[in-house]
Amino acid sequence: MLALQLLCNGLATGCALGVVAVTFSLVYSTTKLFHVAHAGVFTLGGYLAWSMTTRGTPFIVALVVAVAVCAATGALIQAWLYARLERRHATHLVILIASLGTLAVMQNIIAAIYSPNILQFSLSWASEVVAGGGSVRLTVIQVLIVVASLAAYGGLMWFAHRTILGKQMRAVASNPFLAEITRLRPRRVHVYVMAIASAVVSVPGVLVPVDLGLQPYNGVTPLLTATIAMIAGGVGSVTGAFVLAVAIAELQNLSLLVIPGEWSIGITFFIFVIFMLFRPTGLFAAVR
Amino acid sequence: MRRIGLTAILASMLTIAAARADTIRIGAILPLTGPGALIGTQQMRGIQFAIDQANAKGGVHGNKIECVFEDNQAKPDQSILSFNKLTDLQHLQVIFTAYSGPSLAMAPLATRKKVLMVNAGAQADKLATASPYLINTLPTIGDEIAVITKYVIGEGKKKGVILFENDAAGISGRDDYLDAYPKAGGTLVAQEPTQFGQTDFRPALLKLADAKPDVMLVSITAALVNMAQQYKQLGLNFTVAGTTFFQDPDVIKDPAAEGFVHTQIRIEAPPELAAEFKQKFGVEMEFFVRQYYNAMQILMTAMDRLLTDGQPITGENMHDIIFKIRKFQGLIPLEFKTNTATVPLDINMMHNGNDVTIKKMSTD
Repeated sequence: MLALQLLCNGLATGCALGVVAVTFSLVYSTTKLFHVAHAGVFTLGGYLAWSMTTRGTPFIVALVVAVAVCAATGALIQAWLYARLERRHATHLVILIASLGTLAVMQNIIAAIYSPNILQFSLSWASEVVAGGGSVRLTVIQVLIVVASLAAYGGLMWFAHRTILGKQMRAVASNPFLAEITRLRPRRVHVYVMAIASAVVSVPGVLVPVDLGLQPYNGVTPLLTATIAMIAGGVGSVTGAFVLAVAIAELQNLSLLVIPGEWSIGITFFIFVIFMLFRPTGLFAAVR
Repeated sequence: MRRIGLTAILASMLTIAAARADTIRIGAILPLTGPGALIGTQQMRGIQFAIDQANAKGGVHGNKIECVFEDNQAKPDQSILSFNKLTDLQHLQVIFTAYSGPSLAMAPLATRKKVLMVNAGAQADKLATASPYLINTLPTIGDEIAVITKYVIGEGKKKGVILFENDAAGISGRDDYLDAYPKAGGTLVAQEPTQFGQTDFRPALLKLADAKPDVMLVSITAALVNMAQQYKQLGLNFTVAGTTFFQDPDVIKDPAAEGFVHTQIRIEAPPELAAEFKQKFGVEMEFFVRQYYNAMQILMTAMDRLLTDGQPITGENMHDIIFKIRKFQGLIPLEFKTNTATVPLDINMMHNGNDVTIKKMSTD
């Protein structure tokens, strides 16, 4: 029963990480930029929702507003920072450093406004226990994280394959030069991608802190895991990034069955290092 | 030779001038932001409250007191920078500290610079011997753990597990449980670490619960509310026991912490003092406010004695006079037999949003 409960907890954590990985992968595969500030957007969503709910705004309204503001923030980062740097022929390393700087600025502004203390949402419904199979116990918010994350992943896949903008995104990701020639206007598509990725990542950005509390530096660890998931899943494979993020979270949880907790992160990532040695292109690279 | 003589005269003149200055300045390096800020702010208010009261009555021996506060976010590296700033640039001789990691990091500097460090909040065992210039006005975690393990064993909780924070204070607590619990007649069957500031305790709680313990012995200092809530959400029903760090108002009022037991250093404020504090700061005079208020009273008693004797307020003199006075009666009776004071200790249980004393004991 311990294994089943750990599995369920891992699923909730993994699904949230999966959305971070999927959106990070979407940005990287389209713009070829290592958008580290994505962690800042993830964190921003939670704080915006917290500010609104503590002032009596219904949670669903707070979530929608947070998603909209995060989408705008992502678009602005692309249009005002990355695009300008690209126009000035900045290398990807320079843009990475600019992204790191943006993350630091966002974290510090959040810490200055809200303090670096752990903040808790006061939403009693969120911590109510939903009885699972047998003695498995999940809270409402954990279930919501799983459902919303799967919906976000499914929606993103549908959008990428079934809409014109989605197809434009894939075309730009596949061959930016050809996209430029065929008047797909890659720079405009980059802004759309950044807005969509930022909007989607703000969903777990709001839901996870409802469960575990808010801290200004919350986004860094999920982003690190998401980066590893993206690479191990196969760069460019949205499904690969999602599956690997869930796998990493499950491995971290289930490894507790056989090893002490202090080793679980180290052992998990060691396994992925070994995996990458045998399959350096990633798990889903061939089938994307 | 003549130059050395002149330098000595100048130095002694400066010392006398410093001793006769209108304002006695001390420092405090506390976590005013970050995961430890809740406690750090209480500590700051305790010091400031005591100083404001003393200054309103004319200060110590006619000298006003002033405290320079530095924020270390409970980080050792930041604490070192703050310590050097306060001692080298501002030449302060007495510095308050809190949290074990930062205090242990600064202790060698205190020894080298002969600056008195006063700790009224951190409890790692190593603090007892970290520096002759570090005095602790509360017992170490080991002293408290000896008491709480004795209590839980007495209640028939003989199968225990440990949840600890993977840092100086947490590991120190874990080691104390490993030592004290079997000595008291119990058996430890599992232990799990967490990181400072971590808020997801579910995996660790589940693994510990799988060992089917009677009691979970806790040595964590941050995110206790999250731990309590997740304990409740997982439907766990073993006893949760800890030390004074459980004295967090947010934990006490959370229904998830119902039945948690812990040692509590007995330090009560008279009602009129508590009311005055509440009027000034708008909040209750919580545990760490009382601790640092009490520690500041000890310092002012020592300063008063030094100034009466015509001695300058240096770290060395303050250290010596505290051990000469030895017994202090502030908010609690307290005695310095070693660098760590002997104090009264209670066993408290959280019940209906209150922290209720169920047994009175002592660290002696």
